[in-house]
Amino acid sequence: MASVASPSFPDYSTQAPTQHMFSPYADNGGSVVAIAGDDFVIIGADTRLSAGFSIYTREQNKLFRLTDNTVLGCAGCWCDTLTLTRILKARMQMYEQEHNKTMSTTAAAQMLSTMLYYKRFFPYYISNILVGLDTEGKGCVYSYDPIGHCERASYRAGGSAGALLQPLLDNQIGLKNMQNVTNKTVSLDRALAVVKDVFISAAERDIYTGDKIMIMVITKNGIKEDSFDLRKD
Amino acid sequence: MFLTRSEYDRGVNTFSPEGRLFQVEYAIEAIKLGSTAIGICTSEGVVLAVEKRITSPLMESTTIEKIVEVDKHIGCAVSGLMADSRTMIDRARVECQNHWFVYNESMSVESCAQAVSNLAIQFGDSDDDGAAMSRPFGVAILFAGIDEKGPQLYHMDPSGTFVEFDAKAIGSGSEGAQQSLQEMYHRSMTLSEATTAALTILKQVMEEKLNSSNVEVMTMTPTNFFHMFPKEQVEEVITTIT
Repeated sequence: MASVASPSFPDYSTQAPTQHMFSPYADNGGSVVAIAGDDFVIIGADTRLSAGFSIYTREQNKLFRLTDNTVLGCAGCWCDTLTLTRILKARMQMYEQEHNKTMSTTAAAQMLSTMLYYKRFFPYYISNILVGLDTEGKGCVYSYDPIGHCERASYRAGGSAGALLQPLLDNQIGLKNMQNVTNKTVSLDRALAVVKDVFISAAERDIYTGDKIMIMVITKNGIKEDSFDLRKD
Repeated sequence: MFLTRSEYDRGVNTFSPEGRLFQVEYAIEAIKLGSTAIGICTSEGVVLAVEKRITSPLMESTTIEKIVEVDKHIGCAVSGLMADSRTMIDRARVECQNHWFVYNESMSVESCAQAVSNLAIQFGDSDDDGAAMSRPFGVAILFAGIDEKGPQLYHMDPSGTFVEFDAKAIGSGSEGAQQSLQEMYHRSMTLSEATTAALTILKQVMEEKLNSSNVEVMTMTPTNFFHMFPKEQVEEVITTIT
């Protein structure tokens, strides 16, 4: 194998091949939780933007209004989130102008999936959760992996504390692995309380989640915003 | 007049001093040589009926396809140069499938017409995205479809202009047929009334005697979507017309 060390420093030449490193991604943390009901859907995301042990800001909104009844929550690489949401916004506007109608939640969900897959070999490093009301007015939650796998669910946790919170939601909302449970429909008040509770738990254990949560409640009357403080350490 | 015409009808994208594109106008004239097609839109659905010209008894009449399925919820009737129509139908089909692929919903009828219109005006010698054709398409299309706005009928001519109609006739017998449609059409028409009306008018304007092998009939309804009439069903309708 030929020496590949710089010719100006012959003393440092080695037989080993030179390695070039490029890390195009950053993990800026953040968690998103969404719960759908029969006629509503709520989505919450924390507002901490961090990199390793440092915090960039304590008040970064990670929820994006796509239409009057569709909201996207993003956690992961913030620069990818910025680009993805800008392209998404442009695509939504183009759809509106081409087809003379606002994109439905289901259409936006499928479009996001194809947009992510088109970056199959250099993906957006984002954990996406899209929520909205479907054409029948039922709440729906769509969760994605970074390369476009899309799944409709009734509740989902994503982002840095996703793995921590999903089992909690399985227990509290999905009522999984329990005997003698009947009531499967979740009320808006219950969903709101659970979202706040699980974020308190996440802020307790996950250093990338904290400061505050932004909550959006989508009903047939539109989107209502709410916020709730978390621990800041 | 004819002299000035012949100077400006060579280039497909050169306006005449009066502001006309003769090649496009000639293409519209070409439609009037094509076989007649009729479309009627009712609240129950849309019906398309077309004449097939059987020029020889040795001809296999089923191989002439003038009504085609674009997607489950959109059907087209064409008149004019059949070879040109293939390209346009292909585009319509691709656009519908692409819309389903990206948005997981069926494409609206208007958007489908818009997509085909974009192809229809891609003639001439543009440098950038490459011309699809060296001349305008010699085809008129009737789009019959169902979407969230209900049953709709669109007509498109070689200039790419598309307009929604309650009832429209294209092709050689279109002038007479359109006149009859205006007399017969009313808003509360049922689909079977419209089917009978379409065939009655077609019978009036056709040179050949109308029978089950020289017409094609299709209905587009919210329950069955694209339904091409089999021979027996066409015969059934023909017996009801006088």
